[in-house]
Amino acid sequence: MSAPGTPVPGAQARPRPRPRRRFPREVPRFLLLCVLAALFLAPVYWMLSTSLKSEADAIVSPVQWWPLHPTLDNYREVLTSPDGNILRWTWNSLVVALTFTVLHVLLCALTAYPLARMRFPGRDTWFWFILSSLMIPGIVTLVPTYIMMLNFGWINSYHALIWPGVSGVFGVFLLRQFFQGIPRELEEAAKLDGASSLLIWWRIILPLSLPAVVTLAVFAFMGSWNNFLWPLYTVTDVDKMTLPVGITTFSQRYVTEYGKLMASTTLAAVPALIAYLIAQRFLEAGLSTTGLKE
Amino acid sequence: MTDHAPQPARHAARRGDAPRAGAAARAEPYLYLLPHALLFFVFTVYPVGYGLYIGMHRWDLLSSVQSFVGLEFFRNLFVPGTPQFDFFWRTLLNTALFTVVSVPLLVAAALGLALLLQRPIFGRTFFRAVFFLPGVLTVSVMGILWRWMFDNQIGLVNAAREALTGAPPIPWLSTEGLAWVPIVVGTVWWTVGFNMTLYLAALSNVPASLYEAAALDGATPGQQFRHITWPLLAPQTLFVFITTALASFQLFGQSLVITAGGPNRSTQSVIQYITEEGFTNNQISSAAAMGFVFGLMMLIFTAAQFGLMARDVKGTS
Repeated sequence: MSAPGTPVPGAQARPRPRPRRRFPREVPRFLLLCVLAALFLAPVYWMLSTSLKSEADAIVSPVQWWPLHPTLDNYREVLTSPDGNILRWTWNSLVVALTFTVLHVLLCALTAYPLARMRFPGRDTWFWFILSSLMIPGIVTLVPTYIMMLNFGWINSYHALIWPGVSGVFGVFLLRQFFQGIPRELEEAAKLDGASSLLIWWRIILPLSLPAVVTLAVFAFMGSWNNFLWPLYTVTDVDKMTLPVGITTFSQRYVTEYGKLMASTTLAAVPALIAYLIAQRFLEAGLSTTGLKE
Repeated sequence: MTDHAPQPARHAARRGDAPRAGAAARAEPYLYLLPHALLFFVFTVYPVGYGLYIGMHRWDLLSSVQSFVGLEFFRNLFVPGTPQFDFFWRTLLNTALFTVVSVPLLVAAALGLALLLQRPIFGRTFFRAVFFLPGVLTVSVMGILWRWMFDNQIGLVNAAREALTGAPPIPWLSTEGLAWVPIVVGTVWWTVGFNMTLYLAALSNVPASLYEAAALDGATPGQQFRHITWPLLAPQTLFVFITTALASFQLFGQSLVITAGGPNRSTQSVIQYITEEGFTNNQISSAAAMGFVFGLMMLIFTAAQFGLMARDVKGTS
């Protein structure tokens, strides 16, 4: 009893001088972080603050650092404006991003499955062929895909916003890498019980790959939600616009009405901030795993 | 290369066990590939060829017959005198300038923030969230916000400057050269958290024992950074550098929303010019040709960068 006990006093004694030494060294780092955080939050503060001011207060000089007569008029006017409908745009964005995410993840998972876990002629050739398309910059296909949308009659429809990106390849790569790490024994056992490969994919491979699937889903959703260039040109009908595009047309109309402008950007930022708070852990975990692949 | 060693043996055994290994079983993997492959051909492979086809015709949206003009639209980009030549190269230079200015800032700031947050500190999760958060906003929200921050008369930047120094407001948005400041500052604010997260992940892989040993040998924090952190982070730095440079060349939304490409096209990005040519001027073929040429440049740039990366990573590890 005494032998394993002896190192303890020594181990406890050692960290003791640390807090005294560490405290002053941590303070400048902490203060620096506080200043930087304040700088990062300043634009967000200014957005909120302006959105709560009357138009006269928003442009008064010298500036009002704090809204002296806070009002929700800007929000009321923006939400009921005849020039556009922020709630409608949010709904459009939500429908498009969710549909895109489900289709994209399903397609990638179906494709990654045989590429990771079956043997057949042409497997590696196909994998490298689709992977090489990652090298093609998006600008190359911008104009031709736009003409295709015109020919399909898909301008001003959700189809144009959903289908062209659904067959993305990065997700196939991500899921294939993950699928390969799943132990083969689980699959073999299910096979002995007579499970079809589709059942194995759905009941074993996908549930065990949940971290990768969720990471891919978060990226797909964010990508679709924040897409700007493509919906800017394929959707011109105000009611069919997504949030990022709608809010821009709004800003062109209210270019000098800063209170309304900031109320509308605040409203447009809210869904992203809520999504971030929910998905925070997946987002940063996903980033660190995918970014580190050597 | 990526197969597990035992796989072939297992597979042989399985094939022997299953008497139903007929045509249907052999077709199975291809059935899984089919849905993605179909869409991949329609929306990735076909458009590349179609773009080349469009670029070689004089495309008229109102006509059903498109006349063949060969490489005329491609040649226009290399023969001075046409507006396409002038604006294409001018906006390409604008984009390159943005890349050259913003990428070092984005890499250095991301590394700096990651180093500040590497070791535990009170409120670390909060700080990480604050630096990462702007990245979840869409480019239009970010753009409208920074246009307001740098407003010529009453933006917060001018107001703060006046409050601190009494200096008169600077017309940031309408002065050539200065108009880049809101775009670059806004972009750093918007995207630095992404790179910071990549760096934090890399830093967490550096063994703490290295620092302890160095500290015992009396190395200062500066020396520790130069001799331990920086060399070990080299592959990550190169990765961040390349992906950030490629993203910067895709500049579009920031300059469109903050300055609308002005003043006098001085902040117009090449992608903005290509879309203007195609969708506003209805010069579809010209835009397709430019997209192809710019895409090819990016491809060469990427290939060169990744070649460099492969060599450097091999050299360091």
